[in-house]
Amino acid sequence: MKATRTTRHSLHGLDPALDRRAALKLFMTGVAATLASCGRPPEEVVPYVQMPERETPGLPLLFASALPLAGYGRGVIVTSVEGRPIKIEGNPRHPASLGSTDVYGEATVLSLYDPDRSKAPYSDNRTQSWSAFEAALRPRLDRHRAKQGEGLAVLTGRITSPSMLAQFESLKRSMPQMKRYRYEPIDDDAIRNGTKLAFGRLATALPRFTDARIVLTLDADPIGAGPEQIRYARQIADARRAQVPTNSLRLYSAEPDWSLTGALADHRVALRPELIRNLAIEVARGLGAPLEQATLPDEIRRFAAAATADIQARRGAALVMAGPRQPAEVHALCHWIDAQLQAPVDFIASVDPDAKSHNESLRTFVSDVRGGHVETLIILDANPLYNAPGSLGVGEAIRAVPFRAHFGGFRDETARHCTWHLPLTHALEHWSDIRAFDGTASIIQPLILPLYDSRDPHQILAMLEAEARSPTLDIIRNQWKSAVSEKGLADWWRQTLHDGVVANSAFEKISLPTAGLPSLAPVTAAEGFTLALASDPAVFDGGMANNAWLQECPKPFTSQVWGNALHVAESDARALGVRDGDVLQLRHGEATLEMPALISKGQAAGVLSTTLGYGRTDAGTIGTGIGVDVYPWRNADSPWLIDHVTITRAGHRAELLQTQHFFDLEGEAEQLQPRLTLADLVGGKFQVERPGGNPPTLYPPSHDDTYKWAMSIDASACIGCNACVVACQAENNIPVVGPDEIAMGRDMHWMRIDHYVVDARPGFSPTPCMHCEHAPCEPVCPVAASIHDSEGLNVQVYNRCVGTRFCESNCPYKVRRFNFAGYADGQEYGNLGEDIAKAVFNPNVSVRGRGVMEKCTYCVQRISVARRAAEREGRVIREGEVVTACQAACPTQAIHFGDMSDPHSRINALRADPRSYSLLGELGTRPRTTYLARLQNPNPDYGKART
Amino acid sequence: MTMALTIPAERTAGPERWTLPEARSLEAVNAIVAAPLLERSSWSWRAWWIGLCVSLAATMAFLVTVFLVFDRGIGIWGVNSTVVWGFAIADYVWWIGIGNAGTLISSMLLLMRQSWRASTNRFAEAMTLFAATIAGIFPIVHLGRPIYFYWLTPYPNTMHLWPQWRSALIWDFWAILSYILFSILFWYVGLIPDFATMRDRAQTRAPAIFYGALALGWCGSSRQWHVYEKLHLALACLGVPLVVSLHSVVGMDFAASLMPGWQETIFPPYFVVGAMYSGFAMVLCLAALVRWGFRMQGLITTAHFDVMAKVMLAASIIMGLSYATEWFNAWYGGQHADRSLVAFEFAGHYAPMFWALLLCNVVIPQAFWSSAIRSNVIAVFVISVIINIGMWLERILIIWNTLSHDYLPSAWRMFLPTVWDWLLTFGSLGLFALMFLLFVRIIPVVSMHEVRKLVAEGQSP
Repeated sequence: MKATRTTRHSLHGLDPALDRRAALKLFMTGVAATLASCGRPPEEVVPYVQMPERETPGLPLLFASALPLAGYGRGVIVTSVEGRPIKIEGNPRHPASLGSTDVYGEATVLSLYDPDRSKAPYSDNRTQSWSAFEAALRPRLDRHRAKQGEGLAVLTGRITSPSMLAQFESLKRSMPQMKRYRYEPIDDDAIRNGTKLAFGRLATALPRFTDARIVLTLDADPIGAGPEQIRYARQIADARRAQVPTNSLRLYSAEPDWSLTGALADHRVALRPELIRNLAIEVARGLGAPLEQATLPDEIRRFAAAATADIQARRGAALVMAGPRQPAEVHALCHWIDAQLQAPVDFIASVDPDAKSHNESLRTFVSDVRGGHVETLIILDANPLYNAPGSLGVGEAIRAVPFRAHFGGFRDETARHCTWHLPLTHALEHWSDIRAFDGTASIIQPLILPLYDSRDPHQILAMLEAEARSPTLDIIRNQWKSAVSEKGLADWWRQTLHDGVVANSAFEKISLPTAGLPSLAPVTAAEGFTLALASDPAVFDGGMANNAWLQECPKPFTSQVWGNALHVAESDARALGVRDGDVLQLRHGEATLEMPALISKGQAAGVLSTTLGYGRTDAGTIGTGIGVDVYPWRNADSPWLIDHVTITRAGHRAELLQTQHFFDLEGEAEQLQPRLTLADLVGGKFQVERPGGNPPTLYPPSHDDTYKWAMSIDASACIGCNACVVACQAENNIPVVGPDEIAMGRDMHWMRIDHYVVDARPGFSPTPCMHCEHAPCEPVCPVAASIHDSEGLNVQVYNRCVGTRFCESNCPYKVRRFNFAGYADGQEYGNLGEDIAKAVFNPNVSVRGRGVMEKCTYCVQRISVARRAAEREGRVIREGEVVTACQAACPTQAIHFGDMSDPHSRINALRADPRSYSLLGELGTRPRTTYLARLQNPNPDYGKART
Repeated sequence: MTMALTIPAERTAGPERWTLPEARSLEAVNAIVAAPLLERSSWSWRAWWIGLCVSLAATMAFLVTVFLVFDRGIGIWGVNSTVVWGFAIADYVWWIGIGNAGTLISSMLLLMRQSWRASTNRFAEAMTLFAATIAGIFPIVHLGRPIYFYWLTPYPNTMHLWPQWRSALIWDFWAILSYILFSILFWYVGLIPDFATMRDRAQTRAPAIFYGALALGWCGSSRQWHVYEKLHLALACLGVPLVVSLHSVVGMDFAASLMPGWQETIFPPYFVVGAMYSGFAMVLCLAALVRWGFRMQGLITTAHFDVMAKVMLAASIIMGLSYATEWFNAWYGGQHADRSLVAFEFAGHYAPMFWALLLCNVVIPQAFWSSAIRSNVIAVFVISVIINIGMWLERILIIWNTLSHDYLPSAWRMFLPTVWDWLLTFGSLGLFALMFLLFVRIIPVVSMHEVRKLVAEGQSP
């Protein structure tokens, strides 16, 4: 004791005679102090010194903007979290969105954070600076300007931006000889030429499906992928919702291969594309057109008779439309028919002011280059070296131009063959404006500063004009200054940005002369096979091929991912002895092409079909080398249909990647996806069978004193567009797995679209987790990672899950998804593990690691947001306050989510609907997700009318 | 006593039937069993060394696979989003089934006074222990996050989280654990008198100490024998219900579900019989190898093969009946999913394997009706191997068929095994062989004291 006291004393006095124990004590104190002290952070972190305006950590900000698709805008509302845009939702005020989205809109955020995006100017095989480019460009521009712009050419896609068009106008004024070409691969040349033919002027037809009761589509797909998809799908779904046979829209569809419209139609026939003309003639003859009778198969004749009788009976509410693959004469004939029917169609001036057709414009470009008229070529956000028709020789033409600068988001095929490549900003990074297909203008707001050293198109055009560089925002604001008085501009601007649409900017209806009857002679079926092309439901024109969400988005009808295939009619496949996955060699003249076959039941015999947008050679890590490129086969005269194709078997096979495999079923499809007709439903003759109802149970009833969440999905309204699938992926941080994992049978989508064929008619059922009240996944989990919460959600506790996978084994719906690898967590596909790609994650949803089961949560994070808001205000969550990601995305509003505990809620009404049924309800799982049976409205007199 | 009167003389247990003349003295029994372990100079271990090298290589493959599974995740296997279970679960069920026979032979036959069990029960028990141990590895390796396997145990924790007792996997966890513990105990208790024999016969000091320590001071006093017999019998009484419950629980891993082809009340007894079937087949394979390797023709006779082949014949008929019951009930129950599954079994993607399974498990074993084949060791060996292959096919098909073809056709997917699936399966065979080879090198492969008892019964008037 004494010794210790002495030591302490001597320590205080810093006695130099430090004994061993004291030294040790000091040493240990030092060690303890070091251990307890704060460490340096592993990397430099910078806190906010001043909080950005309006930013509250943890709360998202919403901004209205617009996104382009093929040059047309779709209004969106972008969710931004701490400066990062992470989710796209529709803008209800915008006529091309109506509050919903499509797959391309949903996937845009991933493209923003694509690690392959072009980051700096590039020339001579090395990274350059913008000033180097300007130094190279300026003398050339001066020379061109001296010659009134001769030798300068700009090649773009479709441009509807009023500001950009104004900039072009001003460029034209200072350099009248400057050339502008525009080419959009998913062209509408035939449609536009059809109005020229019928009315003598360019116009755009806008059908009003809500006012239509009978619609006949001739190889047209108004609800298929494209800028009009959301609006037309909503209109058609709304028009079909009325459960009165005479008041509900009846859809007739004739088409060579399957389209979403054909799948939805009440009567659908498969017909070779060239014979669609004969069908149109037949319908026109029924309306009194003095045209020569066409030869048609009996089945088609019956179809034509029924459709003609129907449209005649519903004059004023009947509509006939042709698709982009049909020649202009057929479109003109449709306009004539519509005129006879007083069809609900409005006409507006063309939103795309370029009078030339896309292919004509490109052809002029090639001849101008050959004539030596182009010395400086500016390619602005276009990729003609990939997507120009092979027949034009655009590649050689571009390479023949001495100075060619490519502005684009990626160093793509065209960039590789240009002397300069300059990075362009993403649509979420710059100010701009854009018009929808009906002319409605929107202001594009930047959500984030440009991630890289890139510039926006307005800046590029300003650079060409050699203006004093004004900020893009000023360019846009100046453009719209004329719309309002100087004084009201600030308010107008604020309101317009808030609304996401420029008020009253939709094009005015125009009155056109009566459509003339085109002279149209019937044709006979072409010899051999016809290859029918279409835009791709996943990657559209290929521009977004490097987007992994789109690549892994299962195509309707085939569930194919990561590639395209040659769809062969079943009868042709049988005749040729072709099975799924056999590689076929196509020959057309000198050109050959190899593609794997995919048998398509219900495709017209003699028709081969496939989609554009694949076979990119320079798309990036994700998109390069996926699928087969058919653009080189396109012909500028007939870009969508290629006649006289012969096929032979190449003798080898290729793996087709599909997320749903198709089997011959024995009646399961009718059980799982019941269909009924409107007449039966109204007559009360039919109610969806619920085998056994809910079987008895020994388990106590679930909690009754709080919310009871439930979802209802209208299989009638589902068009199979996949917007919900990609929306779920974006909202819930669902990783892609990549083609190799798909080949192993793995996928991660929480929401999938099941596809069944009943009586040769396909139908779609979106399948999320059923949130069973008696969930089979729960009792089998040994660690209680799969449990029920008090509000009826079947929840998965990720950090408790040990990965026995018994839950998925025991799930009758197979909606659970297991992380076989660290798809989001160290074993990402391609380059999506790079830091920038992680910026897309939703901070409100955990990123799941390897070895953990996951599944649909009914967007529990959104319920949580609503609950917090309600609790703050001391009320219950209101009807419609929680909107799940899939529900928000759905263009046809097929998905409804709500609280069953509120007796007046819409979800209860939907669950009480006679069409309501539970999937596999006979198992006693008591799903909270229920369906409304698919409803069809066939013509009761079909086939009875005289032919 | 009355029992003995009703049983014909040649049917009674006796040394004449179960041993050859050269093994009918107490010393001869000891010599045959102990010599290979103690008299090293007089015994060649060449075949053993070859076997050891092969099994070591296979064990390495197993370890590499397990390492890769831990490192890269179970995605290296062929499991997919729909067929989330694969080889690991099939291997587990197969191994645990094999682990059935040792306990059955030791306990059930002991209680039924089938004294012929004496010359086979030791290595059968060892087989049980090793098979159950290997079986216990698979459910852990198969987990998505194997480091957290202990969450299946009710250990105290700050979160107050307990396992979910309704899950068949928890029942399974306890069943395997208790079965392994029981197997170790039962095996060791049976070994104590033999360790003492080895200790007494050891000619050098090292084995004397080694076996002496293991013998726990056994000196063979009548009091010790009295206690021993009671304990052994009591353990046997525990063992029989345990082995039945274990395999019932394994059956309930599937039966306590909602899936067509799994949710069947026949599963628990069907799994017990299936386990006995594959276990006996494995015992017969090992008996043939032990008999050949240790020249124990005197102790393990064709009569043993004959009687065990009869057990398997009975089991094969029960298996056939079980399969037929499943098919009948699928039809009779009228559920579309069940009927569709049976049709898929016979004609679907895995149909060739299903037909092979019927051939292996039901058709070929009917050869055992012939007594000539029953007493032909090579024939019995070959058929036993076939039965084990058939039983493995049965286990993998229970998983594949149901998961590949359940309620929603949109989710139907097939399973394509990868090289790692196969390495895991064959590697586990190597690990088993390794453990068994080490066992025969160290521990008396036949229970000397029980065979001595059998021989002595014949000698006493």
